[in-house]
Amino acid sequence: MNVRRTAVTLAAALVALLTIAPLLWMLSVSFMARGEAAQFPPPLLPAAPGLDNYRMLFDSFGVGRFLANSLLVSTLATLLALLFTIPAGYAFAKLRFRGRDAIFRLLVAALVVPGQIGMLPLFLELKAIGLVNSYAGALIPWLAGIFGIFLVRQYCLSIPDEMLEAARIDGASEAQILRRIVLPILTPIVITLALFVFLGSWNDFMWPLIILSDQDLYTLPVALAAMSREHVQDNELMMAGSVVTTLPVLILFLALQRFYLSGLLTGSVKG
Amino acid sequence: MAGLSIRDARKSFGDTEVLKGVSIDVADGEFAVIVGPSGCGKSTLLRAVAGLEDIDGGSISIGERDVTALAPSERGIAMVFQSYALYPHLTVRENMAFALRIAKTDKRAIDEAVRRAAAILNIEELLDRKPAALSGGQRQRVAIGRAIVRAPQLFLFDEPLSNLDADLRVRMRYEFAELHRALGTTTLYVTHDQVEAMTLADRIIVLRDGRIEQVGPPRQLYERPANLFVAQFLGSPRMNILAATATGDGAATLADGQRIALPTLAAPPAAGTPLSVGIRPEDIDVGEAPDALAFTIAFVERLGGLATVHLRRDGLEPLACQLRDDGNLAEGQALMARLPADRLHLFDVQGNSCVRGRAE
Repeated sequence: MNVRRTAVTLAAALVALLTIAPLLWMLSVSFMARGEAAQFPPPLLPAAPGLDNYRMLFDSFGVGRFLANSLLVSTLATLLALLFTIPAGYAFAKLRFRGRDAIFRLLVAALVVPGQIGMLPLFLELKAIGLVNSYAGALIPWLAGIFGIFLVRQYCLSIPDEMLEAARIDGASEAQILRRIVLPILTPIVITLALFVFLGSWNDFMWPLIILSDQDLYTLPVALAAMSREHVQDNELMMAGSVVTTLPVLILFLALQRFYLSGLLTGSVKG
Repeated sequence: MAGLSIRDARKSFGDTEVLKGVSIDVADGEFAVIVGPSGCGKSTLLRAVAGLEDIDGGSISIGERDVTALAPSERGIAMVFQSYALYPHLTVRENMAFALRIAKTDKRAIDEAVRRAAAILNIEELLDRKPAALSGGQRQRVAIGRAIVRAPQLFLFDEPLSNLDADLRVRMRYEFAELHRALGTTTLYVTHDQVEAMTLADRIIVLRDGRIEQVGPPRQLYERPANLFVAQFLGSPRMNILAATATGDGAATLADGQRIALPTLAAPPAAGTPLSVGIRPEDIDVGEAPDALAFTIAFVERLGGLATVHLRRDGLEPLACQLRDDGNLAEGQALMARLPADRLHLFDVQGNSCVRGRAE
């Protein structure tokens, strides 16, 4: 028994190490001098750690601006997504209206269509209404994710009807019930959903690349890719850029991890 | 304070008619209990009064006001649910204050109302706890407190005791009675438990299949059930029912050919009329007598002071009989017992009670 546990722990540690190794090396390389990482064999740790790469990123390439852009887009995407998905998911779970289940089934069926297929038609639509090359255009795909609606609905199903009815008898309007009763109960799933959307929009590369043509509007991944075309040899600089891209979401994820896990678990185990 | 009046309430879910024209009057300050087997429509009726279900036909008035088309919060009612339905993220105090907060009541008035309700229910020390930190009985009290705080004209209870263990159920039953005496608020209480109905009600409404079977004070329903269903639904153990045939001369023959005397009826049945003869387990007279029948004890259920004895006689339906348990009852033993005519309930072929005559 004990031997088995040790073996499992060792295996888990090995997998964890394999997973984290590239990230650690990315961090390490970002502190190296120019060209240092290209030596053979590549060094694991910088000979003389320095912040030159970061200084260059922020001073010469204006990464600060892209970082701010990314923060703005992801924050707005998250807020807007929550604003629309939570009421929608709640309504699909708990409110009675004609065609509710049929509409929901249609939405879930649409989940199997890969997002990439919708990109071109969506681009053409946004072009027609003049939202190309604007954050409004960049945000639209995040407004009402079907997966988010599904997640909120499943979680809402576990809220007893009697509780909502008690609130109705207590005189609360539907909006008050959502805000004062349902939302506090939904906290774990709201945090989970917020993380999903924030991570998704932060890491999203394809859609901002398509919709944003003005370089000033670029988000970090797009800006980094544009940079790497000219600086494909500057491993250290690219790694510093990757650190800037990865770190904020990593910290966010770690900070909210506790809620995130409980959200996913309580959502799946009903009741 | 106000009475409740339901006129010809009808409700269907799809093709299933759940309420088939129910009319009920509950007087001001009365404790009325709706009782019936599951699926009889009693919860639907209660939810219709609360405004949680719209009715398809008929009307509901509370006091002088027709509330049929009003929202639940405008009806002046408060409801206690089977699952308590407390708000899990709010403290007991906030749970109880919720309705008043929504109504934007003055903060001092809210505090005062919550404090008073908490004092009545003895839950003052729980006010700052969350529902998760309460026992079942305490949650039940908070749910009642939430109802009291609103000072409703009508209390609605939907099987409030069925989630509690037996011991607590008995205590809460007593507290409900006390509470009703103290507040005097008109109450409509739904349960499937005939003991709750018998002990709590000023008036019992027996519902079956969306129709009212009988309405009346508990004693009256127990002693003069209008039909076979009410007769067997109220009382535990159930009333014994024996098939019999009228002889036309004030007596009847049982399935085994045994002749028994019947009570005097307003319209004595003609010879050959099939009847159902009912007798409560506690009404069977044990002992030697000229008209006693010979039985064998098939099984004894000992309940402590009392025992339910199941009697057998060839050719006759088994009978349950309630006796004081003196420790001498044994299975297989012979027992003489009579079915006193004045304790018999008679039902015709449709299951309706035969009206008794005056000469009784």
